[in-house]
This record gives sequence, C-alpha cells and structure tokens, in this order.
Amino acid sequence: MVLALGIVLLGVIRSAVTGQGVIGGHKTRIDFWNGFTGPDGRIMLGLIRKFNDANPDVEVTMQRMDWATYYNKLMVAALDGRGPEIYVIQSEAMPRMHRAGFVANLTGLFGDSPNIPRSDFDPLVLEQVTYGSELVGVPLDIWPFGLYSNADLLKKAGINHPPTNRKEFLADIQAIQTPMNGNGERDTWGYALTNWRQNFQTVLPQFDGYYFDKNGRAALDNPHNVEALSFFANLQNSKVLPPPDNAEGWVGYRQKKVAMVIDGIYMLGDLQRLEDFHYVGAPTPVIGNHPGTMADSHVLCIRNGIDPDRRAASERFIRFLSQNSIGWAAAGQVPARKSVRNTAEFRSMPVQYAFSQQIPNIHYLPRTTVMFEMNLELDLAVEKVIRGRATPLEALQVANKNLQDDLEKDAMERGSS
Amino acid sequence: MTFQARRQRDSLLFLAPYAISFACFVVLPVIVSLTLSFMQFDLTNRSAIQFIGLRNYHEAFGDSYFWQALKATLSYVVLMVPSILVVSLGFALGLNGMVKGRNTVRAILFLPGMFNVAVTVILWHWFYDGEFGLFNYLLKGIHGPHVPWIDDRSIAMPSIVLMSLWWVLGGTSVILLAALQQIPKPYFEAAMLDGAGVRAMFSRITLPLLRPVLLFVVVTNTIAGFQVFGQPFLLTRGGPELVTRGLVQYIYETAFNNYRLGYGAAMSWLLFAVIAVFALVQYQFLRRSTA
Repeated sequence: MVLALGIVLLGVIRSAVTGQGVIGGHKTRIDFWNGFTGPDGRIMLGLIRKFNDANPDVEVTMQRMDWATYYNKLMVAALDGRGPEIYVIQSEAMPRMHRAGFVANLTGLFGDSPNIPRSDFDPLVLEQVTYGSELVGVPLDIWPFGLYSNADLLKKAGINHPPTNRKEFLADIQAIQTPMNGNGERDTWGYALTNWRQNFQTVLPQFDGYYFDKNGRAALDNPHNVEALSFFANLQNSKVLPPPDNAEGWVGYRQKKVAMVIDGIYMLGDLQRLEDFHYVGAPTPVIGNHPGTMADSHVLCIRNGIDPDRRAASERFIRFLSQNSIGWAAAGQVPARKSVRNTAEFRSMPVQYAFSQQIPNIHYLPRTTVMFEMNLELDLAVEKVIRGRATPLEALQVANKNLQDDLEKDAMERGSS
Repeated sequence: MTFQARRQRDSLLFLAPYAISFACFVVLPVIVSLTLSFMQFDLTNRSAIQFIGLRNYHEAFGDSYFWQALKATLSYVVLMVPSILVVSLGFALGLNGMVKGRNTVRAILFLPGMFNVAVTVILWHWFYDGEFGLFNYLLKGIHGPHVPWIDDRSIAMPSIVLMSLWWVLGGTSVILLAALQQIPKPYFEAAMLDGAGVRAMFSRITLPLLRPVLLFVVVTNTIAGFQVFGQPFLLTRGGPELVTRGLVQYIYETAFNNYRLGYGAAMSWLLFAVIAVFALVQYQFLRRSTA
C-alpha cells in the first residue's frame, strides 16, 4: 500500500516537474504569462481553450497578473530559469528583456505558410522586435491612442462628428462645456486629461517631438516638446480642463461629465461593459502640424533555453494566436497583422477600425533601457506644468537633466548607451 | 549518553525548527542584502555584476530622489507618531473610564486593524475621491469647501496619516488600555484623599507609570512609520509630484522596476541606519525620563 502510494506520488511529482502527464500519453504543458487582467483576459482564455481543444498533445495554461507587478515577477522567474515558456511584453519593455537575455530568437517563426509572413506586418511594428538580424518576438496587436467621444454630448452641442483638427477640437470643447460655477467646476467638460503624460506623448509626434537626439543624448527640452506641452498648459490656463486637483479623466468620461478624452484602444473593453453609453472612437485630432499618435504593441515572446518539445509547442501556439488575432480584436485591440485588419469582421468593429486608421502615422516610444526613468521624469514634468508649478520649458529642462544623468549612469554601469 | 547531554540534544532539537527558519529567512537575507549593497547588481545586465565598494552609498547621498523620499518618510513619521500617541491614549483613557459597553467599543475600535492594507486603501480611496467621495459629499452637505484630499501636495500626506491612524488606532489603544488597567487603584484613591484633581492624577500618576509602554508605542510606531509602503503606494502611488513617495517605495522601484538590486540594497541599509538612530535616541530619551 505504502509502495503504491509512493509510486503514485512520484508520478505526480514527475508530472509537476516535467509538465508531462502520465495518463493519456505525452502532453506538453506550456505556461503562458501575461498582464491581461481585464475583460481582455477572458477573451484570451477563450482563445487558449480553442487552441487546447484543437491540439490535444499540448496544454497551454495562462497566468494573468497586474502589469504593475508583472515584469518584476517575470524577471525574477526568468532569471532563475522558472519563467513561463511564453509570455507577453509591451514592446517598450523589450530593450531590457532583450538585454537580460530572456527572449529567444524567433526569426524561424517568420516565413512562408504555415509560418508567419513578415510582409503581413507594418515595417515599424516589426522593427520593435528586431535586434540585428534577429526577430525576438511576434507582435500580437497594436494599441494606438485615439479620441473617445460621448456621442450624446456631441449631438447635444450640435456637433455631428468628432473633431479632426486643432480648430475643431478647441471649438468643440467650447461648444460642449457648460458654464463654470464659483468653485471652478463645470457640470460638463468638453475635454479632460486621462493619463497626463500619455496625453502629452500622444500628440508629441504631431509636433515632431522626440526624446533623444541623434547622438543618443536626452533631448526632452527640445522646442517641439515644449510646444506640445504648452498646448496642454494653455488649455489648463484657459480653464477648459478640469482643475488638476479634481481631474475628472476617464471616470468623468464614463460618468458622462466629460465629452472627449484621449486614451489607448485598450480602454475600449471598459466602455463595452457600460450600458446606455454611446461612445465614438476616432483618430487623435491633429493638434500639431500633421497627423500622428503614440502606439505600442503586445509582443509574444518565448523564453530562452527551453527544450525542443516545448519550443515547438510554444511556436505552434504563437502561430495560432497570430492567425486568430481577429478574436483578440474583440477584446478592444487592433491586430498587428494586416491581413486580419483587412477582414470584413475587423472593419465591422467601429472603434478598433477607427483607431487602426492611424497606423500609417503611429509612433512607438524610443527603444531605450531607461524607459522607466524617462517616463517617471515626464510624469513629473507634465504634472508640474498642469498644476501650474513650472513652465513647460522649465519642467522639461529638469526632466532632461535627470534623464541624461540616468543615461550616463546606465551607460557606465551597464555598458550600454 | 548522559542525562545532561540528552537534555542538551533535546533542547537543540526543539530549537532547530525556529533556528533554521530564522537563519534562512532572516540571517541569510540580511547577509545577502549587505553583500548586494556593495555590488553593482543589475538583473538585466548580469555580465556586469561586480563589487564596487561604497559607490552605491555614495550615490545615495547625491541622489535628490533619495532625499526627497527620506523627507516624505520623515514627514509621515513626524505626523503619525505624535498623532497615534495622543489619539490612542485619549481612546484608552476613555475606554478605561467606561463602565458599560467597554468591550463593544474596544471591538469596534480594533476592527479596522483586522483589514488588509489593500482593503483599507480601497475603502479610503472612496472616502477621499474628489468627485464621488464620502468626505466631500459630507462637506458639500454643510456647504463646506471641496477638499482635494489626495491630489494636493500639502494635504496628501496628512490624508495618508489620517487613514493609517484609523487603521492602526485600535491595536495601540488596546495596548495602552491594558497598561492603564495595570496601574493600582489605591494610587488614585490616595491621591484623591490628598485632594488631587484629575489633571494632577494624570500627570503625576498615570503618565509616569505609562512611560515604559509609551516608549514601546513610540519606538514601534516610529519603526513602522519609517517602513511605510502599502498606504501611499496604493492610495497615491507616491504622488502628487512624489511628495508621498517614501523611502521604501523608492527602494522597491529601484530594485524591482529598475532592477538595480545593489543600489536598492544600499538604500535599505541607509534606511536601517536612520531607523536605528531614531530608535536609539527615543529609547535613551524616554528611558532617562522614566528613570
């Protein structure tokens, strides 16, 4: 009896360690980590079930965790060789993951059928996962930032389409907003900032703004960036934005107190759950000199150093997800593959399709290993400006100096630039 | 084996489970973090891991964010420790004087301390919300001003302290209540016969006899205050403009967002030094006054 129990226990341990079931033949277990904790996670779970049903020799299990702690856990697990076989990262995190040596070369996954055709991706999107001659990830989607409008509030103000340029945008804000009361509040605001930094970064490409100069030095205080940030400072000074101490942002938009907000396509999932809320998605209005918006991508990666069986199963799963990314689009995403975006099904998704029209003008954040530090500096700079505690130039100069210090520290300690 | 040897072996065996876990989970991490603090240790660049002596410590002294985080931590401690001392002593005195319902009130007071920090923050986030929060709703009801509880540089930290006070008040009050109940009644009876008033009895009997417990409360709350993390991290994320980003949060971000474990470890040891100095000063000061 004891011997039998021991054998069963050994089998269970072996199964847990090797990921291979002892009953029903060889089954390769694949761990898949991501930060899809919202409604998008449920859609991804549906795709995984579909894959598992169609591939009885593979079992993909998904673990979701909040993006805020996701990278910490992923990094520590990968460092110890315990990381998942497949994981999702935002392309802005790629430089650090690549430098850490955690991403496997996936160049072999790209090619003719049944592989993933390179030509099905926009060059800029593929560029985000390209290191030298290697492709180290498969972009699953593109998440551009765009304009969300409350259709009812627009209609009430006599506006029949979301603004497309600076003039219309400012006129619409004025037309929609209700008079200010004694506390500096309005019942309805035309526009409100959601994530302050990201709103700034969204319109930055329209002003030809940039983060680093050609020599790789910090250049946050360049005149283009100052001009872009001044636009928001002027909005705040002219009291067409809610007071910074009571920023309405996304909650105000959901509560129908704000008519327009700029945010990522990933926020669509939040709106899809609301009843009796009529929203419209549109490209970011041209506030600057030409069209442009910020974007990023979720990238599917395979951990370096996994055994051939798991590697083959992982590649099969990534091919499946990439080919079926129309299912993922329903979660409020724009598929990275052009062929998927050209389907009638995708074109019938109004917000996703509207946001996807910006793809020719999207700009990714720069490829840098000091992304966290850069965004922190920009967070502070934009916050100071919106709160009226610094001019755009002053705030960006401080941010630039700090970022340059970070760059130099990074170069000295890590042997990079 | 002699009886003495057997006894010694048995003693060691009884001690072993705790000693092993103490060595693994306390001693070892302390040694590792101390070692890390002298190293350049970046998880994303393992080939550049090397011993760099005191460079991490030197960097901290020139790091404006380190000083800003230390300032935020100090402001939390300076606001929190006297507040918890005064308020919990007040509650303990009140409870001590109650004849009926003391247990019920004590249970109610103790209840918030049973909540997880995340639950506490979710609750207080709703209280503090600028537009839909309970506090501003109540203020509006009495035509009071709109208060940006967690969005204003000068109010955010006091708001965090208020929330923390609500959260930990019960535990400290119960400790002080227990100490109050230990003071022999005849002391007060004798003082009353001598014509002492309430104020005299408090300052001449209650306070002196409470000092050892007050020392404990001050030192433990000071240490906890320097280690504050969950409340500001979850409520304000360190904002606005980093005024509520304490040292532990900065250490966490350095080590686990920037992956600079060496520098994070060095700042942890500097925090330890600050806590040790404060605790020793408080201990010496209060010990002298209780002697």
